[in-house]
Amino acid sequence: MTMIDTSDTSAVPARILQSPKHWRNRQYASHWRSGDEEFDASKLGMWLFLSTEVLLFAGIFCGYAVFRMLYPEAWANGSHYLDWRMGAANTAILLFSSWTAANSVRLAQLDKQFWFKVNILITIICALLFVGIKFTFEYGIKLPQGKAPGTFFSYPFAHDPHEPLWWSLYYIGTGIHAFHVIVGAILFAVVLWRAHRWQAFGPTQYTLVENSALYWHIVDLIWIFLFPLLYLIH
Amino acid sequence: MSQDTSTAANDLGWDPTDPHGINPHDEAHEGHFVADWRMQVSILVILLFFTALTVGFYNLEQWVETAFEITLPRWINIAGAMSIATIKALLVAAFFMQLKYDKALNTFVMLFCLFCVALFLTFSMIDLKSRDWVYAEKAPALIEGGTGVGLNAASADNDFAIAVSPKVNTAGQNIVEFARLNGNKNEHGLLYYQEQGKEAEFWEHFYTPHSTHRDPLDEKDYFSKLGIGHHNEVSTANASHPRHGLTPGLFSDVEPSHTTDHASESNDASHGEADKADDGH
Repeated sequence: MTMIDTSDTSAVPARILQSPKHWRNRQYASHWRSGDEEFDASKLGMWLFLSTEVLLFAGIFCGYAVFRMLYPEAWANGSHYLDWRMGAANTAILLFSSWTAANSVRLAQLDKQFWFKVNILITIICALLFVGIKFTFEYGIKLPQGKAPGTFFSYPFAHDPHEPLWWSLYYIGTGIHAFHVIVGAILFAVVLWRAHRWQAFGPTQYTLVENSALYWHIVDLIWIFLFPLLYLIH
Repeated sequence: MSQDTSTAANDLGWDPTDPHGINPHDEAHEGHFVADWRMQVSILVILLFFTALTVGFYNLEQWVETAFEITLPRWINIAGAMSIATIKALLVAAFFMQLKYDKALNTFVMLFCLFCVALFLTFSMIDLKSRDWVYAEKAPALIEGGTGVGLNAASADNDFAIAVSPKVNTAGQNIVEFARLNGNKNEHGLLYYQEQGKEAEFWEHFYTPHSTHRDPLDEKDYFSKLGIGHHNEVSTANASHPRHGLTPGLFSDVEPSHTTDHASESNDASHGEADKADDGH
């Protein structure tokens, strides 16, 4: 087996270079015609999965649309309980992390390992920040007040008899979204670990990075729609 | 290199001298687009701008309603928010997710998914809106105060017995009313305030200066005692209700006179209303 590697390996420690998990030593599975085909097929699979994720949230959005149409006062009331500045901060954090995720894909393609890892780390930190803000400043304050979903509702100062519906949809929408953020953070943590330990990602092997970034962008897209629908109802 | 790396140039679609593609070289990712960092940063800036725009639109709506004293139709809020969100989504999908530079199949997958979402929402809305076309009683419920079906009420249909929630037993009451009476361990309900003699404080949570509806549970009429209902009551033949301030447009330079003629005419209510210009009393 001859390996003609034209990339510059002078900066890579020998321990990593010898590992089979290093990107230079990884190759696409033998049943594929080329690495490109494997990558494209993997990406298509990811896109198919992302469309199922969009459909998942479409169900929630449909419930939102139906109930907003039926009970607009409850929706306007409910929206006023939410602090739009928290939502705007979370939106900015998620948009920024979307940029760092896209940037990390670019850096993996250019074999800039250090900055690649930095960008992945920033993305994870943004995810944790998002979830932290949500749990401490939003859920953590509202749930003790009794603004809770479904049968757990016990807020005594509700203005509208249909407010529990609003709260249910708010918690389901943002809760399932927050779960997706956590899953995305875990994905990126796996990427970061593999990059740190074995430099597993490089110009020819960055499929997991690409797919994780695609997942992260969908999570960001969902929030782009959730934010005005929940926080900015007039 | 003798390797023919262009997959378009041979019929095989792969390179016979390197069947497993273990030799990384520059053309290995010839099909892969490497984004320009400047493009990505500018897209981020545009996205943040649109976020600010959507927040600004929301604040603008509120300002317009108070400044011009009109009520905007509800669809404006939805249309504005959704159009800005759609633009942001298109930017993220095209540039961050690189759909623009990818093969068209990925874009088609996403568009088909969005078509399915549109189908889903459209048919749900059509169903909801047309429920009362054939049977009037199937119209969507818009019942003020809720339907009154509590969490432990007997179900209307014995075939569909609802499992009672172990968490809350509202004794047939609407959960909002139940919470209002009982509260929770952090927020006190009406019963607590009644015990403490602080009912007015409780009702103040509901009654803001713009509140218009008196709550049926407000038996002692704190709505009026807090001075909230005052502006909404209409004068009747049996009682005239005081109005504050001058009638707009009725006076130019002349101050209304506060003479004793008022006292002599105070018994003659109809005179006071019709003959004299309203001086605010």
